Amino acid sequence: MDRREFLKGAAAAGLYMKMGSVFVGAEPAGPDLAAITGESPAAITKAAVDALGGMKKFVGRGDKVVIKPNIGWDRTPEMAACTNPEVVRALVEMCLGAGAKQVVVMDNTTNQAQRCYARSGIAEAAKQGGAKVLFTDENRLKKVTLKGAWLKEWDVFQDFIEADKVINVPIAKVHSLCRLTLSMKNWLGALGGARNQLHQKLDEAIVDLQAFFKPTLTILDAYRILVRNGPQGGRPSDTELVKTVVAGADAVAVDTLGASFFGVRPEELLYLRLAQERGLGTSQLEKLRVEKRTI
Amino acid sequence: MGEDYIGPTVERFFHFDPLIALTTFIASRAFFASLALAGVTILVTIVLGRVVCGWACPLGAVHQFASFVFKKTKFLRPNRDEKASVAWKYYVLAFVLASAVFTLDLVGILDPLSFLYRSFAIGVFPGLTHVASGLVGALYGLKLDAAAQPVSQWFQTLALNSTFRQGLLAFALFALAVGLNAKKERFWCRYVCPLGALLGLFSRWNVFKVRVNMDKCIKCNLCTMHCQTQAVPYPNEKWRSAECVYCGTCAAICPTAAITFPATAKPEKLDTVDLSRRKLILTTGLGAFMAPIFRISPARKRADLKLIRPPGAIAEEDFVRRCVKCGECMKACPTNALQPALFEAGPQGLWTPMLVPRIGYCEYYCSLCSQVCPTGAIRELKIEEKTTIKIGSAWINKNRCIPYALGKPCIVCEEHCPTSPKAIKFVMVEAKLFDGTTATQKAPVIDNALCIGCGICETKCPVVDEPAIYVTSVGEVRSKTNQLLLPLLGQEPPQQ
Repeated sequence: MDRREFLKGAAAAGLYMKMGSVFVGAEPAGPDLAAITGESPAAITKAAVDALGGMKKFVGRGDKVVIKPNIGWDRTPEMAACTNPEVVRALVEMCLGAGAKQVVVMDNTTNQAQRCYARSGIAEAAKQGGAKVLFTDENRLKKVTLKGAWLKEWDVFQDFIEADKVINVPIAKVHSLCRLTLSMKNWLGALGGARNQLHQKLDEAIVDLQAFFKPTLTILDAYRILVRNGPQGGRPSDTELVKTVVAGADAVAVDTLGASFFGVRPEELLYLRLAQERGLGTSQLEKLRVEKRTI
Repeated sequence: MGEDYIGPTVERFFHFDPLIALTTFIASRAFFASLALAGVTILVTIVLGRVVCGWACPLGAVHQFASFVFKKTKFLRPNRDEKASVAWKYYVLAFVLASAVFTLDLVGILDPLSFLYRSFAIGVFPGLTHVASGLVGALYGLKLDAAAQPVSQWFQTLALNSTFRQGLLAFALFALAVGLNAKKERFWCRYVCPLGALLGLFSRWNVFKVRVNMDKCIKCNLCTMHCQTQAVPYPNEKWRSAECVYCGTCAAICPTAAITFPATAKPEKLDTVDLSRRKLILTTGLGAFMAPIFRISPARKRADLKLIRPPGAIAEEDFVRRCVKCGECMKACPTNALQPALFEAGPQGLWTPMLVPRIGYCEYYCSLCSQVCPTGAIRELKIEEKTTIKIGSAWINKNRCIPYALGKPCIVCEEHCPTSPKAIKFVMVEAKLFDGTTATQKAPVIDNALCIGCGICETKCPVVDEPAIYVTSVGEVRSKTNQLLLPLLGQEPPQQ
């Protein structure tokens, strides 16, 4: 090859590298929101995250990850009070597969912590997946300035602040005050102190918390949802099998889709309106790429 | 850990206790099958003497160790010739048994297993928990998180309860009992223990006897001086088989190895404890008279509103006859809800368990207290039954409840109510505020028929100084009289 040919080739290669995607017709960027339905909670969780581009899009090599499920209640998985343990295990495995240095699973429970962790099945499932399952420790509470519109400061567990990435894994349930408890209400489990005072301005508080925690990924467990007597139920008849997991980086969008399982429109939820106004996400699903599939 | 199961091992120790078996049987006029194991202890004692005191009793071990320490540190100097009467524990036994005949169960106060377990459950372990918390806190304070975290996590798996009313009193009484070893060796075992006395009554026909070989004996009296229970091995004919716990100290300390424990079948003329007939009659009479004296208390007429008993507790009159105040339930309770009563249940109810929602609530799917109760005062429950047992009723104080009084939203009580359907429902109320405006909010209303009195609403109510929703004992199904609602025709009356 002589010098002229070499230069031609190099220029062409450079041009191709810059604009090759246009010529080859490369695939467009993946969906913003995925809702996968299926029999296996683990499989639909994996599929949902894969549809968004895979866990490596959210978790980097060497990251310290904290996964925040709802472990709040001393109930078995059939009662749909806590996050489905299979969903949690699948997420743990995916994070470790994406190269996370450490995956911690924890929640500040409502009932006695040891019982909640055991009866919900989450401690066992997460351990099997390879996670470090920790109880919240009052010694690790720190008064944090939240820069919220309403909530200025609160005691937060340092584990959530020190993590490189936080993944929010709530379960979809009804709630008497905010109507539905979806992703943003789940942040109450990252707090210490007198959380029972937050109900006096609950919608505003959870929006402030969502803005503070900035999760890298939100996975809404709608495999078995709670439609009556929320947020802890008590009879299997309080639950409904929807067998779906909704995943997305935009928690407002995730919750909007999640609300539809209860027949609730996003405008009916004050906290979603406030979150959208704050720029935390969008409820207008028609503007997003949504992938809905059954496997 | 976190499972709703405690094996029978915890309560098994108590089932071997013949004092508890005998007293509870007499006082409650009912036999709790597991306590038949106490017969094993009696048989062992008849054959081998008070080896249970010497080798098995955990409180005896505490006292023996304390005596050892006090001796080594010269706080305790045993008398050459100890004259104190070991008869006192027999009078205590007479008192306990006599009062039991008249249905008063006082065994729990001084029974060694009850005393030890209760002291540890509400005094010693909670104290140690706070020491440990302090250490962990110090590690965190020194920024040694890597060391502090595994210790803290492990500690949380122990789920130790660290908040108890009368915890200080329990610890003080325990410290007193242990401290008395500085005055006399194994003070409790010699002078106080009614179980020791009972076992002593059965140790007159011991197979193994102490024998001093007079050819070797130099009459130094070291054996008698250091005999842990004042059984007087020397002079040999003064040996009290009912006091000997076969600790072997006399044989070990004898400088000429003159003491042995041969097994002889022939009954020797042995000295027994000298019980004063007058003192015996006095204490027996006093014990018998205690029962009517205790009945003066108004607790027998009207239930105390704060006396919320654990689910599975039998009717109150029978409950105080069976409960030995061992504290097992209080230790097992996952939320630290069960607390020792003081005056709420009358004098006979001292240190019996009651639920205090300001400290903890009754966890819905938990039956641990019913699993560990050694005498059946709390009968063992399956979860399906436990969740239907009403132990009290919740009430709302509208003068303090945030939606009613302040016009702000709050539904923490409803959120936490574990029943399905929930026992707390909503109405819309208009609150008149101090600035003349009106606020309309969702406010809680209690469905008494569904409420089981678990107390989680009171525990979690944000009005922390005096919760706006609180539980009282009325409506508890185990009581025929502590009811407020007229049973509707066709509905069953409260069951026992």
